[in-house]
Amino acid sequence: MSDAEVVLALALGVLFTAGTFLVLRRDLVRVVFGVLVLSQATNVYLVTMGGIGGVAPILGHGGTITDPLVQALVLTAVVIGFATTALLLVLVYRTYQEHGSIDLDDIQGAVR
Amino acid sequence: MTTNLVIAPVLVALVTAITCILVRFAPRVQRTCSLVGVVAYSATTFALLARVWPANTLAYQVGNWRAPYGITLVADPLSGFMLTMTAVVAPLTLVYSVRHLKAPGQRVSYHTLFHFLLVGSTGAFLTGDLFNLFVWFEVTLMASYGLVAFYSGRDGTLAATRYVVLNLVGSSLMLLAVGGLYGVTGTLNMADMARWLAAASPAEATPVLGLSLLLLAVFGLKAGLVPFQWWVPSAYAAAPAPAAAMLAGVAKKVGVYAVIRVGFVVFAAADPTFTLGGLAGDLLAAYGPVLFALAGASILVGGLAALDRPTFEETLAYSSIGQVGFIVLPLAVAAAVPDLRTVGVAAALVYALNHALAKPLLFLVGGLVEDAAGTTELDVLGGLAGRSPTLAGAFLVGGLSLVGIPPLAGFFGKLLVFRAAALGDATVALAVAVAGAVLTIAYVSRTWNRAFWGERTDVVASMGALDPVRLAVVVALAGCIVAVGVGFGPVYGFAEAAGHVATGPGRDAYVRAVLGGGVA
Repeated sequence: MSDAEVVLALALGVLFTAGTFLVLRRDLVRVVFGVLVLSQATNVYLVTMGGIGGVAPILGHGGTITDPLVQALVLTAVVIGFATTALLLVLVYRTYQEHGSIDLDDIQGAVR
Repeated sequence: MTTNLVIAPVLVALVTAITCILVRFAPRVQRTCSLVGVVAYSATTFALLARVWPANTLAYQVGNWRAPYGITLVADPLSGFMLTMTAVVAPLTLVYSVRHLKAPGQRVSYHTLFHFLLVGSTGAFLTGDLFNLFVWFEVTLMASYGLVAFYSGRDGTLAATRYVVLNLVGSSLMLLAVGGLYGVTGTLNMADMARWLAAASPAEATPVLGLSLLLLAVFGLKAGLVPFQWWVPSAYAAAPAPAAAMLAGVAKKVGVYAVIRVGFVVFAAADPTFTLGGLAGDLLAAYGPVLFALAGASILVGGLAALDRPTFEETLAYSSIGQVGFIVLPLAVAAAVPDLRTVGVAAALVYALNHALAKPLLFLVGGLVEDAAGTTELDVLGGLAGRSPTLAGAFLVGGLSLVGIPPLAGFFGKLLVFRAAALGDATVALAVAVAGAVLTIAYVSRTWNRAFWGERTDVVASMGALDPVRLAVVVALAGCIVAVGVGFGPVYGFAEAAGHVATGPGRDAYVRAVLGGGVA
């Protein structure tokens, strides 16, 4: 296992921990940040799945190349994540307008 | 070029969805486009069905990239069964929507969202690639977020926010599982992955077990199984009635379909000498107890919670948690007992068909009542049966089909679920199914007694006339339920052909069609 892989593995652990912690907050905006961190951590994880030892996958550069497929997957996932996060932010803003609060305990209390 | 038809339903729905955005300033044109589009969708789906029937597998290599390098779309009896279900429910629901929703709502977004929901679920039913399945899931979800937030009131926005957050976490988990599976097996093509698993030694295949269970959890979230059911009641109550009908009838079935396709076709291919702890058998043997826990808990939680809901929609929403449990129960038995793979999958499919017809019917009845009476509170309703015998009759057909009374579709669904459990000697599963059936009888008869039977309340006495078109849609769905029950022979034959893909020879045929068929 190379040094870069160890560093990435640790970074992934930290990211997933932070993301999970934020998702469990009462503040809706922090929940959004948590979801964002989680999905970015997933993207980093996807990149490492293709191996990070080789050179850029360009024809004619020679040497061992890294797997370009996972990078294509990450691109797709980033675009989808971008769209859903934008939608989620709109929904959070609308929730704030409707309920006058972004504290989930307040909102749930108000609904029931 | 004969396999081009496989991609046709997706394209038809996609073109319709985009056209509906372009013509949004001409409401009548938009409505016509939308209706023509959904009829074309059903027509292409039935044309595809005719090619797949009774047991064909068609593979379409997108962009002529050879499998496993490109994305493959596959139509086999299993996809065909799910698509046919969609093709029956979608047009009826859309006709209902056109009459149900106010003009501004339809103009801005409804038709586009509706067709994108079709695009996403059709893509998910047809794809033969794991990452592509993720993309179609996201398309389906994007459309359903819009439909849940459609009325954007206080409850609607909160329900939609909850739904989006849960599913974004679910999407991250799915990507983790898909990425891990790619890292382990080196492929994303389902057929290729099945081939890899069949050749792999148990030690090589072990990481796949954890990753596949992670995938199962995500599919459970999409299907609304306990303990991932939290989004279901608020989302269904917030969405417009026809949208709730589509979400319960079609979008939820995407999760169930994914369990069957990925679990029973791909992961079941692993070496049968696989052991883990006390469990022996193929990878699926480990699925058995997990699926059973999910299904059993769903049946009980959904059924119990449906017993005392204050409104019509909430009762139906909790009921749909329990009913999906009934769909998954035979899958749990089939996972544990390899000999019952075909029987179990066929039972799950028949039950899914019953739920896909009965639940939309009930949601649409609820929508009609809400529109005419202004409320669906069971406390203030009463005597609807005298007010509109047709509506009451349709509700009765849907309700009794959920309960499982012959000759309705639900009778055979329940019968097959019980049969799978009995054949597998799964006493606990049988007991849970019986308890669930009793709960179903209890909440259906409660709803019937409160809303349709009894003295006519003021609200019901003063309610306006019911729209004949929407009433006709509801009656047509009731007719479908009766038709499936009366002409059950061919339906079961088709379900059995679909279940065949979960067996060794069926899987080989699937893998050959995808990888060996070459380019069309």
